[in-house]
Amino acid sequence: MFKGTPVSEGIGIGKILLLEEAKLEYTPHAVADPAAEAERFRAAIEELTRETRRDAASLRETAGEKEALIMEGHISLINDPALKGETENLIMGGQCAEAAYESMCDMFIGIFSSMEDEMMRQRAADVRDIKDGLLRILLGVKEVKISDAPKGTVILTRELTPSVTAGIKKGNIVGIITETGGKTSHSAILARALEIPAVLSVPNAASVFKNGQPVIVDGTTGIVIPDPSFDELNEYTEKRAAFIKEKEELGRFRGLRTVGADGREYELVCNIGKPDDANKVIEFDGEGVGLFRTEFLFMDRSSVPTEEEQFAAYQKAALILKGKPLIIRTLDIGGDKEIPYMGLEKEENPFMGFRAIRYCLKNRELFRKQLRAMIRASAFGDIRIMFPLITCAEELREGRAMVEDIKKELTILGIPFKKDIKVGIMVETAAAAMLADVLAKEADFFSIGTNDLTGYTMSCDRGNSNVAYLYSALQPAVLRMIERTIRCGREAGIPVGMCGEAAGNEKLIPLLMSFGLTEFSVSAPSVLRVRKCISKWTKAHADEVAAKAMSMTTEQEVSAYLATVI
Amino acid sequence: MVQKHFTIKNAQGFHMRPATNFATAMAAYPCAVTIKFNGRDVNAKSPMFIMAACIKVGSEIDVVCDGEGENEALAAAAALIESGFGE
Repeated sequence: MFKGTPVSEGIGIGKILLLEEAKLEYTPHAVADPAAEAERFRAAIEELTRETRRDAASLRETAGEKEALIMEGHISLINDPALKGETENLIMGGQCAEAAYESMCDMFIGIFSSMEDEMMRQRAADVRDIKDGLLRILLGVKEVKISDAPKGTVILTRELTPSVTAGIKKGNIVGIITETGGKTSHSAILARALEIPAVLSVPNAASVFKNGQPVIVDGTTGIVIPDPSFDELNEYTEKRAAFIKEKEELGRFRGLRTVGADGREYELVCNIGKPDDANKVIEFDGEGVGLFRTEFLFMDRSSVPTEEEQFAAYQKAALILKGKPLIIRTLDIGGDKEIPYMGLEKEENPFMGFRAIRYCLKNRELFRKQLRAMIRASAFGDIRIMFPLITCAEELREGRAMVEDIKKELTILGIPFKKDIKVGIMVETAAAAMLADVLAKEADFFSIGTNDLTGYTMSCDRGNSNVAYLYSALQPAVLRMIERTIRCGREAGIPVGMCGEAAGNEKLIPLLMSFGLTEFSVSAPSVLRVRKCISKWTKAHADEVAAKAMSMTTEQEVSAYLATVI
Repeated sequence: MVQKHFTIKNAQGFHMRPATNFATAMAAYPCAVTIKFNGRDVNAKSPMFIMAACIKVGSEIDVVCDGEGENEALAAAAALIESGFGE
């Protein structure tokens, strides 16, 4: 069994087709007639443009418009006036076309590979692809064609290039394995667009596997099984059928609003950890962001990020979301999240200690920078501010007072921001849940953090295997905390969301609907599944189930009962 | 010669599509078009050089057009950049 990076979900069972790369070798030489060599170069550029245009047309049919645009992008790169011009200059200086073009392309590959932005690094692969294409034409090497591959073929290649992908016949290729590439590589994007299960970055795959070898590709877990046994074949055939059925069902929920069976509408948003994750929210059909964790900005570095750095990150997420709600949580460090340069002392009991809002209110300068960056970024989208670990009204008041001060300052300076920017709190401590009636009068919204709320309410550390059995959001004590929080929010007329893992828990969803939760915030890949879950319940039916569940005494009873109704 | 200052507003900066669209639009004008950024002169008719310049959201750039049709070229450049490349 081999393991790689799963990038395109599903299961493929078939036989391996090894795509060996053509050897593009040549000996650089001086040319006697540079003008003729330049002419040969221009003819090759024209031929490559024609081929690429053909590939774009075929990709448009198999993979869709977006992927065809990648190839159209290649056409502009191939015909880049500066790249062509500089290459011709080198040729006129006596180099052969192959060496001249390769050295120009390698320069750009070097620049793009060293960029921080993953999307820009991807351009290096584009340039490599067009360089190989042009060298192939100049050297007269025949292109590998996979359009003749029979049904049930699993492609194995070093890297899936758009030009290879263009030849894929969707019905015939059942899986893709590559030696290189990550989740955002072209190989991955193309595999997903074609909906072909794919596992990338399987080390040495091209030298270990053989042509025609039977293989199972699990694009969901990243497992690749060569020469599967009879039992494995049975197991994966079943898994494949279940996957296809589930996918068809979920696909029907794409692009729809999130509504219960009685037409009541809910908000279904996502939890993210980096500005780029906002792209995933869009990709998976989320309706906004219910929790943007900002810790990543502070980690893996040696000093506090500047206001400008933070502003750029928040602005980026806001721009990607184009006006969809974006709830940003202020710094939540301490507890299990340590940041060396913050100078936090080792504590006897970090979860009860100096963390999150407590730390921020004592480190005003740091907190001010973050709030100022968020408020400035609110000029670019529907940004909302959320404070973590609130336990009493003073914390919320102090935080709000800082927000108001910053707004006044920005107004005087003429810096734009969203005037009515909402300020809400995480309800994740037992104190906040008990005080929800009071806090609801002063917060613009609540978001229940079930992970910490469960831990604090049950006084148990989920990482401690001796007590982990107590850790469940279905514990009657936790359910009461949740119910109370939602009820208090509802009575005060503020929205109440949930951004802990429980928001995507099928068993809990009817209870949350009954209590009156208005917003579910889940991981991006769960969006369609949760939308489907919500669609099954009317408020009346959820109320019945909730009444029964809340009348029960133990977690076991609640859990067993809910298992029978979903 | 005409020149104008801009702040890049679209989230992804000059990545593939904006760079390509911009370069293609500029290539239609006979004048030379240069982006001044970080003390460097970038050929604005070349998507490759534009991308290699690593111009991001918030970057401050100057667009310089010099030669025949320079006013029209600058107006077209301004329209593209200010619309955030239609992102």
